Amino acid sequence: MKKKTMLIDLDRCIGCFSCEIACKNENNIDLGVQWNKVFTMGPTGVFPDLEMYFLPALCQSCENAPCVEVCPTGASYINEEGVILVDHNKCIACMACISACPYKARSFNGKNQVIEKCTLCDHLKAPDKPACVKACCAKARFVGDAEDPQSDINKKIREVGTKNIHTLPDAGNKPTVKYILSDKTAKWHDRKSWVFFPEKD
Amino acid sequence: MKQLKMNRRDFIKATAVTGTALSFSGFGSGMLVEKANAQEQSGVQIITTCCRNCTAECGVLAHVKDGRVIKLEGNPEFTRSEGALCVKGLSGIQALYNPNRNKYPMQRVGARGENKWKRVSWEEAIDKIARKLMEFREKYGAESVFASTGGGGNPNFMSPGRFCNSFDTPNWFEPGAAQCYLPRTLMFMFCYGGGTFYNSDTSLGDNNIHEAYDYNNLKTKAAVLWGTAPSYSGPSQAGRVLVENRARGVKTVVIDPRFTPDASKADVWLPIRPGTDVALGLAWIRYILENNLYDYDFCLKWTNMPYLVNTKTKMYLRESDIKKGGRNDVFVVWDKKTKSAQPLEYPWNDSFDVAIAGTYSVNGSECKTGFQMLKERAEPWTIKKAAETCWLREADIVKAIKIYSEKPSWLSLGVATDQNPNSTQMAHCAAILNIIMGNIEKPGAALQRFKNACRSPVGTDPLMNFLSFDQLKKRLGGTEFKGMMQWWTGNVAKHLNALKTGKPYKLKAWLERSGNKMGTLANTYEWSKVVHNLELIVHMYMYPTGFSPYADFLLPTNEWLETDLPVDCFNKFFPRQATTHLYETVNEYEIWAWIVKRCAELGHEQCKRTLDPKETAPQHPTFVDYQDQLDWWCKSYDMKWEDLKKGSVEKFPLSEMKEYYVYKQIDPKTGKPKGFNTLSKKCEIYLETLITLGRTGAPFVKTPLPPAPHDYNPLPFFIEPEESPNRPVGKEFPLVMTNGRLPFWHHITLRNIPYLREIQPVADIWVNPVDARKYGIEQSDWVWVESKRGRINARALVTEGIATGTVYMERFWNPENINEKTHGWQEMNVNVLSRSDAPYNEVVGTYTLRGYQVKIYKAEGAPKGVWTKPEDFEPWMPEISKPTKRVSGVVK
Repeated sequence: MKKKTMLIDLDRCIGCFSCEIACKNENNIDLGVQWNKVFTMGPTGVFPDLEMYFLPALCQSCENAPCVEVCPTGASYINEEGVILVDHNKCIACMACISACPYKARSFNGKNQVIEKCTLCDHLKAPDKPACVKACCAKARFVGDAEDPQSDINKKIREVGTKNIHTLPDAGNKPTVKYILSDKTAKWHDRKSWVFFPEKD
Repeated sequence: MKQLKMNRRDFIKATAVTGTALSFSGFGSGMLVEKANAQEQSGVQIITTCCRNCTAECGVLAHVKDGRVIKLEGNPEFTRSEGALCVKGLSGIQALYNPNRNKYPMQRVGARGENKWKRVSWEEAIDKIARKLMEFREKYGAESVFASTGGGGNPNFMSPGRFCNSFDTPNWFEPGAAQCYLPRTLMFMFCYGGGTFYNSDTSLGDNNIHEAYDYNNLKTKAAVLWGTAPSYSGPSQAGRVLVENRARGVKTVVIDPRFTPDASKADVWLPIRPGTDVALGLAWIRYILENNLYDYDFCLKWTNMPYLVNTKTKMYLRESDIKKGGRNDVFVVWDKKTKSAQPLEYPWNDSFDVAIAGTYSVNGSECKTGFQMLKERAEPWTIKKAAETCWLREADIVKAIKIYSEKPSWLSLGVATDQNPNSTQMAHCAAILNIIMGNIEKPGAALQRFKNACRSPVGTDPLMNFLSFDQLKKRLGGTEFKGMMQWWTGNVAKHLNALKTGKPYKLKAWLERSGNKMGTLANTYEWSKVVHNLELIVHMYMYPTGFSPYADFLLPTNEWLETDLPVDCFNKFFPRQATTHLYETVNEYEIWAWIVKRCAELGHEQCKRTLDPKETAPQHPTFVDYQDQLDWWCKSYDMKWEDLKKGSVEKFPLSEMKEYYVYKQIDPKTGKPKGFNTLSKKCEIYLETLITLGRTGAPFVKTPLPPAPHDYNPLPFFIEPEESPNRPVGKEFPLVMTNGRLPFWHHITLRNIPYLREIQPVADIWVNPVDARKYGIEQSDWVWVESKRGRINARALVTEGIATGTVYMERFWNPENINEKTHGWQEMNVNVLSRSDAPYNEVVGTYTLRGYQVKIYKAEGAPKGVWTKPEDFEPWMPEISKPTKRVSGVVK
């Protein structure tokens, strides 16, 4: 089964926010709603011996996606590319998926009363790539089916091996998004819990 | 898990969502896009263009459907950006369709500052403005009219200067120039000479250091980023190539008070105390000379360091000084063999054993080599002293110098040091540090004379020769700060002073094109008072700013997506081409040209002459129709605008671009090596040229101007900032303020872009946790920031990424408050705090935008009316507007 996902090289990422704006432009995302967000990790340490890196946060494209499991209407589904999507015609904004997502990687659009999330720009068909990948100034983002030897992401994984590869905490949901970060840039923050996109009050 | 089965309609009914929300049902963010993209497959035109939301001008592919721009992507063919596009470029659509665009020419109807307007025609606006200008010229002289511009937001940069030369007023300025880039272009010109515009200095923000872009053939071993943060200021170009350089093993040193992304990825970070860079620069020079880390052969043979200087006259000895009938352009060295001063004919004489250092007596006069002069100048600046002065650790400084000593290397100097009175001295240090390491025209070095597609960046010819010498002598600050003549501009603080005092003469009219002078000029409250002393203020821009309410006329200009202009990129030209056109906006170029034409019709003889190509040749005449201007540019670059519009024109293959060691090439005219474009044809360290500049204005004028009040110093020297923690002012105002870029904006632009303000809604002030505790401030607290000149608000960002004793803010203004009494510039504008008063840099007149003292204390909350939540920015989301016909033929 195909599993389209993303690998982000944090040794390259320079925290320029291009991915965030490119995502909002491409998907016409409402103000207050985010699908992709750059976290500044640090600086940590004591001045002037500091470390810092940037963590672009997005749907972690879990193999066992709890958001799909809990959806009461079938609005959340996985397509043939392995991308987790929300059918807005079926979404009742019950928030079950948001509660279930270990990273709170989904965003509630209060204006339209639907749940939104990264689609890996599913509407842009190959060879086109997601807007965040195209705009990335650091060429830090790699997308594709990790199992497909022809994909950008597979090539990058083979190039770097298992060293310096990190994933966010796994509670059995098996996130497939991977991050590269070596100690030369900064030590990986082992954060236990994540809230990417806070719900609106 | 057993799923609850329900459909959307049931759920909405059950939860009684309001009708408003229902009307949107089925149109979440993503749904809109699916629809847009379904449509997109038919009838979408992809137009090749170039961004102008900063000076990097990245290649852009604009997707246009039915005359409306619907998507922007980077152009992978554009060599400098390779398809990357930063948030500023990506904001093009929200800027273009911003509901608050200036749409039509407007004339003030209320009191100045009241912000009340009526629509007028272009003809009427131009006629009224020209008549006023002619009246002031008649009554008070042409010098009573001045213009200003700025680098942010689609400028036609030389147009205001050209207008002033045509009108015969010497007065125009920009908040940059002496505060941005001019100190570097000037000092690198004197020290290195350079060739075409690019690579003559080491500013990454101005498209230099081509070697870094050729990262697949990388020769550079180490790079120093001094006061520059390309990840913030130019992520799609310099920031991007530095990623590639670091990934290929280039070691980096970052000198910056802020812990920027580049600092976080550097091998050494030196968080310098703002304003003290020259102290560190001199310490680097001292250490390099003392430890023989410099390139001895290059310094001996290809710099003026061995040439003897008469310490009394401060000038270099010439053959004519030591020999009757000797030549005036042959310099003198000390020959160790004969223990005598000898004329050294360019380029070299192997029969001498030339001393690089030393003090000698020549005909009874004390003479020292340039090397010796530099060594003595740097002598007090031990690593220890620099560490104390600059708030650094000695070991870090030494480590940084050792990295830089891994040659070939380059040292890039950014804008930071242009923003305090030590400006030219630091640029001088940076040039010296590149030169003494021999990092000149060799593979991997920054300073090069590579081939370029064009002779200089495409721009409007300035017609400098049209300004009469009598008028030039009246330029505000012109005699004192003669280095400004490199850009042919006047001094900002002297304009403020003339507005305040009416001395040396009264100013009557201000023609201004830039983002927001109330955000970029130092000591803003002073400016808000003196604007009332003017009789005419014209503001031209894409949208109203905090300056606009003070104007008499508001003239609407094009966004970059509405603009045509050739853009050069290494070996190619690309088009910035209009993708659409809205309302009655025009290219800034046209406004200036139309005013000149109207003045000509009203009897201004010189303006009339500028319309005649025979009079202006080889520069272009004033074209009333911008299409004629485009054709002129294209013709002079051997191409046609129609061809360029197809995508790009290649002038020569990229492989032919690089030419190393140009100075060694034999000049067929002389049979000697070409050398450098300097006085001595060698790289220059001790700058006699600076002394001559101050005394006469050479090389910028042929007829001497009156001398500056004192000789400019031929070597770098450090002045402790006038306001410093080490002076009494530091008691009440203990913190040093610095500024610098964030990725979201260029200069004072783009604060009206909803998606950008969503990320960075307000101005942050970076405060170290130690200071935060000391002043009772917690993360995200609103604070007051106060200097001797005023106070503003900011939101505290408590971070280790700034030193104790230092704070950082980016310039800010709040367009949402433009109709309030504050006009949006009084809330969080850091330049309310900065200094327009003396001391000034002696060569170019730089005042103090960074490196002055402030204090901070807790505030009650956000300033009134300021937008902070994402939804607040909804009124600025793109509005539906139909393309309109281009305005033309305004002045027949």
